[in-house]
Amino acid sequence: MQNSNTLPKPGESTWLWLIKIITGVLIIGILVLHFIVNHYLGPEGLLTFDEILQYYRNYPIVPIMEGFFLVFVVSHSLIGVRSIILDLNPSRQFLRVLDVILVVIGVVSIVYGIWLLGAILAQAPPA
Amino acid sequence: MSETWTIKYVIYREKKGQEPKFEEFSLEMRPEEYVLDGVEKIWAYHDRSLTFQHACHHSTCGACGMLVNGVEKLTCITKIKDVTENGGVVRIEPMRNFPVVSDLVVDMSTFFSRMETAKARQVVSLSESPTDSGIKREPNAADDLYRLSDCIECGLCISACPITATNPEYLGPAILAAVQLNGLDRFPELLSWVDNADGVWRCHSAFECTEVCPSNVEPAWRIMDLRKQVVSRRVKNLFGMK
Amino acid sequence: MQSETRKVTLSAILRWFDPRKTEAGNWAFILNRVSAIGLTIYLYLHLIILGKLAQGPEAYDSFIDIVRDPIFVFGEFLVVAGGFIHGLNGIRVILNSFGIGVPYQKQLFFGLMAVAVIASVIIGIRMFTV
Repeated sequence: MQNSNTLPKPGESTWLWLIKIITGVLIIGILVLHFIVNHYLGPEGLLTFDEILQYYRNYPIVPIMEGFFLVFVVSHSLIGVRSIILDLNPSRQFLRVLDVILVVIGVVSIVYGIWLLGAILAQAPPA
Repeated sequence: MSETWTIKYVIYREKKGQEPKFEEFSLEMRPEEYVLDGVEKIWAYHDRSLTFQHACHHSTCGACGMLVNGVEKLTCITKIKDVTENGGVVRIEPMRNFPVVSDLVVDMSTFFSRMETAKARQVVSLSESPTDSGIKREPNAADDLYRLSDCIECGLCISACPITATNPEYLGPAILAAVQLNGLDRFPELLSWVDNADGVWRCHSAFECTEVCPSNVEPAWRIMDLRKQVVSRRVKNLFGMK
Repeated sequence: MQSETRKVTLSAILRWFDPRKTEAGNWAFILNRVSAIGLTIYLYLHLIILGKLAQGPEAYDSFIDIVRDPIFVFGEFLVVAGGFIHGLNGIRVILNSFGIGVPYQKQLFFGLMAVAVIASVIIGIRMFTV
């Protein structure tokens, strides 16, 4: 007989919650910048390819920041997805499978994103 | 002198092995009477097979929690005039998020046993429990007085919680509030019980529990405070502090 | 036991989105959950689409031309507004979780949502007029 009286279900702890909170705060800051850059910097709104390159080259810190932004957003979203699924009272077996899936999605997204940043910078024309 | 209203009671009926249905009863009631009075009249004069729970009639026993027009109410202190009007409808359903035993009676055994695990107390000292006027006295005063704990274990907060609706394993507002009142400093063994997937992190700040609580427990505030307690203990433990 | 007799049903999930008495906290929860789901879907679509950046200027700029269509701009506006709502409501949850402003959670919610509306309108004007 499963009963959380006797069997606490592990799997969401202070630390996971704190990561969600801390990444959330960091995302707010970077996201505001992201909105401003993407909607106000370019004369015609959304940045074109050349404008993105120029932006990255003018501010070399930006690609690094974008890399961290990616890590924060991906972590926050996946912990959030897990949190919503935990609200649905998943079985322990399902949770184990889900954790593997989420970690794979997270790692793939971050590796892909960093590769993409590199690919963009590699296309930069010589200064 | 005393005005009489005609009220239509629509009552949820469910007996073992039968399909749930709603039955209507027309009652003459004074607007100052309580919703529970109407339910008792139906039982007394219309249908003796109606099952419901009640005892003290003054919001101390916590037995008569029901859904009144879709919202959790302690029916013994909810006046007719506060939920309907002359010629209006009072729709009575059993509390949600509990299995229905019969008609308006629900099975609260899991809830009560969790309250026991939480070491919920019926009586607390005044110093631990600020009164409405905000009186808070130093703990362990020699003449410390005692009072009944605010929480009457009526289960309305459990019924109102949107998370309990999808996850019955979530401990729920009243239980977490009881742990908060006890304090993790006093019962450190409760830390792992509340700091897990079905504990304090399941709360998503909808504050529905606080909205329906008839007894000033404010479970949502207590869950937030319990989080603070949990985080501070975890951080302290990390740095090897006691 | 409750856990064995009650399965997660669609009607239970829909209760997440039931405003009931339309109390502030419940609306905050609904808005947060809806925006969370929307933003998550958007995030991964966004990451996939940005892959066009690796294909060079032509591929990316032709995509940018497409999304300057008002329908896409409107969709993007929803994402921006969702971002403000989720982010600002998140501030309320964080403050409350650290014991700050719990008695004023309603005012906090309405105040932060007012900021979200103002910010969305400001950025929305830019998005639709540029």
